[in-house]
Amino acid sequence: MAAKSKSSYLAGFLVLPAAAVVVLAMIVPLGYAVVMSLFDFAPGKETAGVFVGLHYYAAFFQDHVALKSLLVTLIFTAAALGLELAIGIGMAVVLAGLPDRLSRILRAVYSMPLLVSPIIVGLIWRYLYDPTFGLVYQWLKAFGLEHFGGLSKPGTALFCVIVADVWQTTPFILLVVTSGLTTVPHEVYEAARIDGAGFWRTLFRITLPMIGKVILLVTLIRGTDAFRVFDIIYALTGGGPANSTLSLSIYAFKQGFEQYRMGYAMAISLITMLVLILLFAPLVKRSSYMEQS
Amino acid sequence: MLRRSARNGFKGILLLAFALWTVIPIWMVVMTSFKTQKDTFTVPVKWFFHPTLDNYSKAFSNGDFGRYFGNSALVAVISSALAVGLGTLCAYGLTSFGMKRSGALMNFFMLGKLVPAVTMLLPMFVLINEVGLLGSYVGPVLAHTAVNLPFVVWLAISFLKDVPRELEQSALIDGCTKMQAFRKIIFPIILPGVTAAAILSMQYSWNELVFALQLTNMDTYTLPVGISRFVGSVSVDWGKSSAAATVTMMPIIVVGFFIQKYLAEGTTGGAVKG
Repeated sequence: MAAKSKSSYLAGFLVLPAAAVVVLAMIVPLGYAVVMSLFDFAPGKETAGVFVGLHYYAAFFQDHVALKSLLVTLIFTAAALGLELAIGIGMAVVLAGLPDRLSRILRAVYSMPLLVSPIIVGLIWRYLYDPTFGLVYQWLKAFGLEHFGGLSKPGTALFCVIVADVWQTTPFILLVVTSGLTTVPHEVYEAARIDGAGFWRTLFRITLPMIGKVILLVTLIRGTDAFRVFDIIYALTGGGPANSTLSLSIYAFKQGFEQYRMGYAMAISLITMLVLILLFAPLVKRSSYMEQS
Repeated sequence: MLRRSARNGFKGILLLAFALWTVIPIWMVVMTSFKTQKDTFTVPVKWFFHPTLDNYSKAFSNGDFGRYFGNSALVAVISSALAVGLGTLCAYGLTSFGMKRSGALMNFFMLGKLVPAVTMLLPMFVLINEVGLLGSYVGPVLAHTAVNLPFVVWLAISFLKDVPRELEQSALIDGCTKMQAFRKIIFPIILPGVTAAAILSMQYSWNELVFALQLTNMDTYTLPVGISRFVGSVSVDWGKSSAAATVTMMPIIVVGFFIQKYLAEGTTGGAVKG
């Protein structure tokens, strides 16, 4: 009995430091943000804040720019996620039939963008999108498409940002789905072939349903990441032109650090988190994350 | 038979196209970093040219890039050591003591993955400013450690689950304490996984922008912040920023080749085996 309680003390002692860091760097700031989003204050003058209640939360829904950034964030999330899932799963299926060694080398090449800092991804794509010497325009010119707006026109900027995001993060889906595919037993494919099922039929009736859990997981991870998007937009457009690429995270950042409206910025960022949780909570429930515990 | 080879040909084209799509943008930057000003702006793009190291000497002499490099390495090493050290012990505590509420605690760590960086940064900036630590290494180290911890805990739990319980039990019967059993038996078995977790943590910290951007100052800028200052100015110095970008991304890409097996497993917290 004594040994039992001693070892549970030890367990607590092992868990405590990690929990303390998360509390200190996450829970405390979150609580603080909730409180300070009810005040009007400038950075460095927190004590002189004026209590405004839920004013900022109400203001969000009357602020055209805020509502637009919500729309931009939703479009970005849906489009980026859709393209990345389609290309990532598609390439994983193509890779699956290859000899092991070739597949390993190709995966190593394909996963490079994943390791590049988002600010550098921004730099790379700004260079490629440059209207005078960028590679994108040189190739578009060959097809007579040099009037493409690129990053500088509101109509096309968000699309260009999505392309850069697809470039960077599709490999993540490719890698995870590839390892998911290795868990599908070989006999299943044999059986499908004997039954005369063609390529597409096998893909949609057998392969994809069997890795449903994995697809759900990558959707959850990539979806929540896309909804929080900051870095790549900051590096490519900073939210412009004409707020056409303004995501919620960028808007909150700008309100806080450029307009010095910290209270409003915190309200926006908390609304971002709430919408994210509401959107993805149904997926979290079904994903294998919860099953692990 | 003909149909089959047509399909294989199509597959080959797809694989090659995706490889080019992946490599060309990175190759462009590496190439630009070795180009002279004149070659950089030549249209169409010059694929063959006389390489020069001018951009590198410019970036490192008057760009303070040597210091940023040191700052990035320091922040990455300290925050990863903290995340991996505390996270691995925490995972052991959660899994091998039959704790009653361990499931709830695990979910508590999982929640950390849902908080947007900006939501964390805004209050953190105000609080760190209040205690006078803005511009020190404390801000980025704390933020990176906190972001990496949940992921390390989850990853370590998945590795610990693969270790047969009998190994620990027989060590305990032989007279080891719990901690001795962890140090001598369990830790060596999960070491490859822990190493991967450490490298992935470092990669996050090395590449992370938004926390470092607001919580550091001129003396403590990390590489991504330094690059963002280059890019942010009115006219981008492509040569210099390409050199800085190449120096920043090459180490992590090279390391990435060796831990490729763990990339899928690591980024999903061990839910998918690589």
